[in-house]
Amino acid sequence: MISCNKHRGDQRLLRKNVEIIMSIETFDLKETVVENKFVGLWRLLKGYHLIYVIAIVSVGVAALAQTGIYYFLGYFVDEILPAANLRQLLPWVALGFVALATLQGLFTFAGGRLAAKVSEKAALRIRNFLYDHIQRLTFTYHDNMQTGELLQRATSDVDMVRRLFAEQTVGIGRIVLLFFVNFAALLTIDVKLAFLSVAIIPIVLLISYFFFIKVGEAYEHFQEQEATLSNRLQENLAGVRVVKAFARQQFEKEMFEGENVEKYRRGRRLTTMHAVFWPATDLLCGAQMLLGFYLGARMAIDGAMTAGDYIAYVGFVTQIIWPIRNLGRLIADVSTGFVSYGRILQIVRQEQEPITVGKHRPEQPVRGAVRFEDVGFTYEGEDEQVLHHLSFAAEPGQVVALLGGTGSGKTSLVNLLPRFYEYTYGRILLDDVELKDYPRDYLRAQIGIVMQEPFLFSLTIRENITYGVTRDVTEAEIETAARAAAVHDVIQSFPKGYDTMVGERGVTLSGGQKQRVTLARTFLRNPRLLILDDATSSVDTETEAEIRSALDRLMESRTTFLIAHRIQSVMNADLVLVLENGRIVQRGTHDTLVNVPGTYQRIYDLQSRIEDELEADLSAVVVNGRLNGYQKLPQAGD
Amino acid sequence: MDDFNFEEEDFDSQVNGTTIRRILRHGLNHWPFMVTFLVCITAVALIESYFTYLSKRMIDEGIIARDLDALRALAIQYGLWFLVFAVFVFGFITAAGYLGHLVQYDLRKQMFDHLQKLPLSYYNRTSNGWLMSRVTSDATRVGDLVSWGFLDTAWTVTSILTSLGFMFAINWKLTLLVLVMIPALWKVAITFKQRILTEYRRVRKLNSKITGSYSESISGVRVVKSLGREHENLNQFNELTDDMYRASYRAAWLSALFLPAVQLVSATGIAVVVWFSGAQFEVGGMTIGGLQAFISYVTFMLWPIQQMAAVYASMQQAVASGERIFSLLDTEPEIVDAPGAIDPGSIRGDIVFDNVSFHYEDGKPVLENLSLRIPQGETVALVGPTGAGKSTLVNLICRFYEPTAGKIVINGHDYTTLTQHAIQSRVGMVLQTPHLFSGTVLDNVRYGRLDATDAEVEEAAKLAGAYDFIMKLEKGFKTEVGEGGVLLSVGQKQLISLARAILARPDIFIMDEATSSVDTLTEALIQQGMETLMNGRTSFIIAHRLSTIKSADRIMVIENGGVSEMGTHAELIRARGHYYNLYTRQFRDERQKVYGLDGSVAVAQ
Repeated sequence: MISCNKHRGDQRLLRKNVEIIMSIETFDLKETVVENKFVGLWRLLKGYHLIYVIAIVSVGVAALAQTGIYYFLGYFVDEILPAANLRQLLPWVALGFVALATLQGLFTFAGGRLAAKVSEKAALRIRNFLYDHIQRLTFTYHDNMQTGELLQRATSDVDMVRRLFAEQTVGIGRIVLLFFVNFAALLTIDVKLAFLSVAIIPIVLLISYFFFIKVGEAYEHFQEQEATLSNRLQENLAGVRVVKAFARQQFEKEMFEGENVEKYRRGRRLTTMHAVFWPATDLLCGAQMLLGFYLGARMAIDGAMTAGDYIAYVGFVTQIIWPIRNLGRLIADVSTGFVSYGRILQIVRQEQEPITVGKHRPEQPVRGAVRFEDVGFTYEGEDEQVLHHLSFAAEPGQVVALLGGTGSGKTSLVNLLPRFYEYTYGRILLDDVELKDYPRDYLRAQIGIVMQEPFLFSLTIRENITYGVTRDVTEAEIETAARAAAVHDVIQSFPKGYDTMVGERGVTLSGGQKQRVTLARTFLRNPRLLILDDATSSVDTETEAEIRSALDRLMESRTTFLIAHRIQSVMNADLVLVLENGRIVQRGTHDTLVNVPGTYQRIYDLQSRIEDELEADLSAVVVNGRLNGYQKLPQAGD
Repeated sequence: MDDFNFEEEDFDSQVNGTTIRRILRHGLNHWPFMVTFLVCITAVALIESYFTYLSKRMIDEGIIARDLDALRALAIQYGLWFLVFAVFVFGFITAAGYLGHLVQYDLRKQMFDHLQKLPLSYYNRTSNGWLMSRVTSDATRVGDLVSWGFLDTAWTVTSILTSLGFMFAINWKLTLLVLVMIPALWKVAITFKQRILTEYRRVRKLNSKITGSYSESISGVRVVKSLGREHENLNQFNELTDDMYRASYRAAWLSALFLPAVQLVSATGIAVVVWFSGAQFEVGGMTIGGLQAFISYVTFMLWPIQQMAAVYASMQQAVASGERIFSLLDTEPEIVDAPGAIDPGSIRGDIVFDNVSFHYEDGKPVLENLSLRIPQGETVALVGPTGAGKSTLVNLICRFYEPTAGKIVINGHDYTTLTQHAIQSRVGMVLQTPHLFSGTVLDNVRYGRLDATDAEVEEAAKLAGAYDFIMKLEKGFKTEVGEGGVLLSVGQKQLISLARAILARPDIFIMDEATSSVDTLTEALIQQGMETLMNGRTSFIIAHRLSTIKSADRIMVIENGGVSEMGTHAELIRARGHYYNLYTRQFRDERQKVYGLDGSVAVAQ
């Protein structure tokens, strides 16, 4: 069944994937990992540098046009109003205004549009890179990182960086250019007045910068509370059955009330900060403007400047003073944007799992001979050794059962096989080649894993079954796999059959059904090695029987590592390993172990004692009943 | 991860009078704030317009008239008004900000309290994501509307009116010319805002899909890796991000076009004013200061109008939010305490089902005409196929649902004459998929009885067989269990929820597949504790392990909408019905494997 054809199919598909990848906006964010964040961010725009510069220059031209309007107004008052042929000139003046406004509008738009293009491209690059990067990070990394934390960095932090390009840089550019253009214009009117008119700016800038830093902190504080409140709510909703079962509504209300009041308090604090800042700086800016206006007006009265100059002057000053407060905000935003960028870089710096690296990549699938030689394992960054000196061997097609309590190391052991983690010492050999020599992707394609809690993706059932199968699959193959997993009939009973979305409204898959979908997936992948991690523990009896027979079919001729609690599940194994604290304390087959005093016998005795009782009970009841009924017994269950 | 995939439904509702009035009423509960900000913002708008007028006078009466005294007087007036202005600014920000947060607070509280009253059936119909959005983002939107939305509206209207007033005072003919421009401005602004809003809605939708995609690939990363699906995942993700790029780029450049477009309209207005001002200058109807003021007013009017367009757009959203919030608040709890419902202090006693029928959906009966009596203290095991109604039966006893026909009597009381609290606070329930809350192990066990001492908590943990593993945890009872208890195994969670139920000292005890994920050794360990617990208490056990079922006082087989068989283990075996089949089949299965009688033993070879 597994032939060279399949393998060639694999390679063809691999090439296809590579081609598709080429069309994706990919950018290696590692290039931006440099000491200086400005440089890093600049590199992120690679290929769009010119466009971005044009965007900022456009914004500058727009500022120039705006100043031109005021300049023109002053000129109009001084030169055209007094002119004799005012009536003939006026249409041209009007046209001049519209022309300047159009110029300003065009460049504002050009600047905005180009900046949007660049910043969205940058966001696209980060999103794609992060997505791929995250799914290629090591297991150890994922073990130590919370989903919510990663999610936040991949979404809101990315958005902060996007805004750095879209809003902050452009905004700062605009305000700084506005300042220089208008200040230059002021200088043409009167140097001394020009400096007097902007004296307050450094102070306002400083105040607003520090204010927005503070407000940023207060806002974060507020957002944290928002998150706490949402979590509280989420907990309540998720645990609604428990809340109701213990009639804890009042308690829940009080808990929520506490968080709700706290959020109100933090919101109020935020409000108060704004309520003080804005009027205070209004006063400062207002005083500055008034001073300028007064001085300018006096000069105009003294004849030191014309009325037109004064009108233009008012326009210039207005364009300098008010935006300054915003500059403070933008600079403060830049610093939070940098923090976000830093958080993203922390992920980017992590090393990916090299999944294709390995010197031994056979053309053929493996046979499935597994040998552990004195293997030990400690999780990276931890002190406690989880597995100690494990040695055992399994021939192709054999079943190795692992028995032991929680924390005995069963799952850690099987996790070494697909190289989810690297063993610390000793050797694991697969077909006499050390595991470390196989590329991870090859290895993982050889191993099927069925976990305790089945994980399905929000895709159709068909896509879930074919998930991760790289060759082209026919409809018939999918159905065969589903039949083997005893789930075909269930799927057929859904209105949309195989096209049903998992998690779709109105269709709920039970735990057992989900498990069987993952079994179908495993059938289709047809791996040589199988890991069954307590695969039947969370399903009820009737489905358990179906799953068990599906599992039996699946285990045929595959080397299987079986983790289970019950003796019935492990008694047919070729090798039973009883683990305790990461050590093999007993090994053998059911027949040998059951006769040796030890953990295995203890578990067995317990289970069989229950069964003995049941049997005694049943026969007692049956003996009291009619005997002909007993004769029918074998048929009764079939 | 449903919550991340949850998509906001579209809302195209127009601004709807009734909803707005209802939203407004929430604001009026705190009317002093509302009055304050309305007064302040009106004053602010008036003073702002007046500043422009003062500037005009400084030009005309000071500069042109070359009158330094007049200039000085005007400047002082200007300064004084500025002080007043600052006070009003402080006033409106404070009042509106406080009001907004207060209204949000009120709405959240009302919704949360209301949610606690709604029955389980409501939660089954409604996704958590939907409810989360109501209580969080919708409440925020409505709060913002009541404060900033109304504030902006007041400001816009006052600003435009006072600006126009001053303009009329300066020159009414030119003002009429400007008036023509306002509808055009309004039209441009609204059209743009609507389109931009539509685009941003699309962006938000895509964004939630992207988040969902991230979330799934992170939480399922082990599966992704073991199935080697990284390439294809990236391809699929890229389809999303490509769409996202296109939608947000479009939204961004539309936004970038908005301001220039509005500015162009107003520049045209200024041009018209300039053009026609010539004639006015000649007849003395216009001054230099007046012209400057006109230009200022026209330019200035841009902001209120564009603000209003934004407010109008977000108002639509807020009203839609309000509608959804009210739809939640208006949902009547299906189960309410009857007037005069009592709490008898205990619900020990016989439980009688009198002709009880129940269905979740019309036409699909789950239980039909069920009558039975369960004497106080009896242990009842419920068996039967999945979906037959075992869980429904215990849900009815807890009164999470009420019978659609017939009645349930507890200790002689029709249980609808009792308060829900009276029943539910005395029922202890342990579920197959136990839910733990974030917090420590201690918090979770104590949830069963909030005033329990540490010693009592430990005692309960011992009875539940949870004590040993808890003590092995890093911080013992103080160990955090993580969200939903993720840091513990299913079996451990079951033991903790068992301890929680034990601590509650319930009158009625219910176990729904409560120990299915507990290993054999531990199960034997807790058997003792369970028996102590069930002793003297009416208990219902749903289980599939025969050993658990067998020792019950009574076994009920639930099938086809009713109890098809009932009796002790021995009686049911003798009856040779469904239970007999179930029992013998499962039992024989197990025995045959033990003795190797089954031909399929050699699984591996």
